[in-house]
Amino acid sequence: MTLHRRQFLSRLAAYCAAAGIPAFALADDDHEHEHDEDRRREPDSTTSQPALPETGLTGRVVVVGGGMAGAAVAKFLRLWGGTGVQVTLVEREPRYTSNILSNLVLTNSVQMSDLAFDYARLASAYGIAVIRGEATAADPVAKKLTVATASGPQVLDYDRLVVAPGIDFAYPEGLQTPEAQALVPHAWKAGPQTTLLRDQIRAMPIGGTFVMTVPPTPYRCPPGPYERACVVADWVKRNKPGSKVIVLDANAAITAERESFTRAFEVTHGGVIDYVPNAPVTFVDTAAKTIHTPMGPFRGDVLNVIPTNVGPRLLADIGVANAARGFAGVDVLSYESTAVAGIHVIGDASATTQPKAGHIGNQEGKVCADAILRLLGGGTPDPSPVTNSSCYSPITWETASWLTAVFAYDPATRTMKVVPGATGEALAATKDHFEDMFVWFRTLMGDTFA
Amino acid sequence: MKKLILITLASLGPAVAGAQQTGATPPPGRLLASNCFQCHGTDGRGDGTFERLAGKSASDIYNDLREMKAENKRGEIMTIHALGYTDAQLRAIADYFSKQPR
Ligand SMILES: Cc1cc2nc3c(=O)[nH]c(=O)nc-3n(C[C@H](O)[C@H](O)[C@H](O)COP(=O)(O)OP(=O)(O)OC[C@H]3O[C@@H](n4cnc5c(N)ncnc54)[C@H](O)[C@@H]3O)c2cc1C
Repeated sequence: MTLHRRQFLSRLAAYCAAAGIPAFALADDDHEHEHDEDRRREPDSTTSQPALPETGLTGRVVVVGGGMAGAAVAKFLRLWGGTGVQVTLVEREPRYTSNILSNLVLTNSVQMSDLAFDYARLASAYGIAVIRGEATAADPVAKKLTVATASGPQVLDYDRLVVAPGIDFAYPEGLQTPEAQALVPHAWKAGPQTTLLRDQIRAMPIGGTFVMTVPPTPYRCPPGPYERACVVADWVKRNKPGSKVIVLDANAAITAERESFTRAFEVTHGGVIDYVPNAPVTFVDTAAKTIHTPMGPFRGDVLNVIPTNVGPRLLADIGVANAARGFAGVDVLSYESTAVAGIHVIGDASATTQPKAGHIGNQEGKVCADAILRLLGGGTPDPSPVTNSSCYSPITWETASWLTAVFAYDPATRTMKVVPGATGEALAATKDHFEDMFVWFRTLMGDTFA
Repeated sequence: MKKLILITLASLGPAVAGAQQTGATPPPGRLLASNCFQCHGTDGRGDGTFERLAGKSASDIYNDLREMKAENKRGEIMTIHALGYTDAQLRAIADYFSKQPR
């Protein structure tokens, strides 16, 4: 371990002051770690209470989905709108599992528990009513949302409904049953699928082949699949020598951080990663462990198919799935649906010119919260919102690159457009960027859930 | 010896003193400034974030951002962000953070 990295770890450890967000694990070497020096600290209970302002605004907002976008909109509606704005958050899971950094679970640098965030702080510090359940239907005229809960259906009245359910998948032929999906994981919604893929990679034979696919755009986290190829390649080099990583891309070329990933595929992981563009999945033969594409069949010891991303069914059920692949068209000044008044759609579920990503999903939540508060007060949304996206991508177990962009509202096209000059990627994958990735992650998650 | 270092994610506690506002007119600069929260903490406050911005002088923040914009260095993340805003927007952002309690 270099001094540099040691300093990094102690610097991060020094951040442990107050808590409320789960512990974060970092193995400090590249092999499977042992808990021989477990310095885990229990999070302190956070007691600081925000002073919610007295704005005079009143209204009922129901938010569906407590992910990066939904948790952020709920928090900022209360932080900015104050106590008169009642916010209810409907989420099917007891806690949120971050997709961000979940590729590092595959290589055992991060544990699943480190990616878990709960809703306790949103409830206690911001007074958000959290209901565990599945939103199933909405009546936009009567302004009612139906939620299936463990104790039966509940109907919630709203003045504004915000929907942030993320994505779903359109599985290719051969992968349509739960049994097949348990053999060939996507690991593109962090959770049991992530640990399944991790365990399969661990059990891969030395000199084996890992075959993964990149879905057609638009999909969640444009650099994510390439980042996965890099960290898995890096891991097999050290743990399964002679193994190969084959990347089958449905797109014509690398879709994000092209310079960084081209360099990573050709130089850093040259000879390990085979990149095949124009290779959409046509059929997955789970028995023969083979993925069929127009570029030919590819057999692997471990298969990872990230299916085409589509809008969750809920969007169609409530009438807002009016964009390609069942995503929701929105007015990006307020994220109000272009199909149904009073329903706003943020995060990956909306169809905009912005990437489907968590950092910008958080910002869409803030723009939406600000717009809803102005609307509740009888005003109109901010006419010139700005948003930004940032993704850090690990390239090896100790280096990372990044990609960032700032978007501003363009009245002519009524879309968010990258501000000229305000986009770019890291010049190289470095250890400094790897350190920054963890500072960014914990700050982003704090801004969203704490 | 293999070691595992576990780090607790500190909570980025929200503002302890909320900015006063009325009705439908939020404080100027707030929505723009919220673009910075993901890395600098909600309202520019929090332990272990990138540079803490809450309570810094508006002219310091503004001048730093102007400088990063003028440098226009490739591969500098803050240059890219500074280029995303007009000077008037940068000033509004700087003013907002300067008014946040440290
Ligand atoms: C491997 C990987 C790496 C990534 N890395 C980055 C990165 O570096 N930077 C970045 O910005 N983004 C990254 N992302 C993308 C990011 O995770 C997503 O874009 C982000 O999570 C989208 O936020 P969301 O709120 O729209 O959806 P989600 O975070 O998926 O949240 C949706 C929530 O809604 C709930 N839900 C859905 N339907 C219902 C319903 N009917 N009723 C109740 N609850 C419901 C779900 O349980 C879930 O909690 C990455 C993604 C992956 C897979």
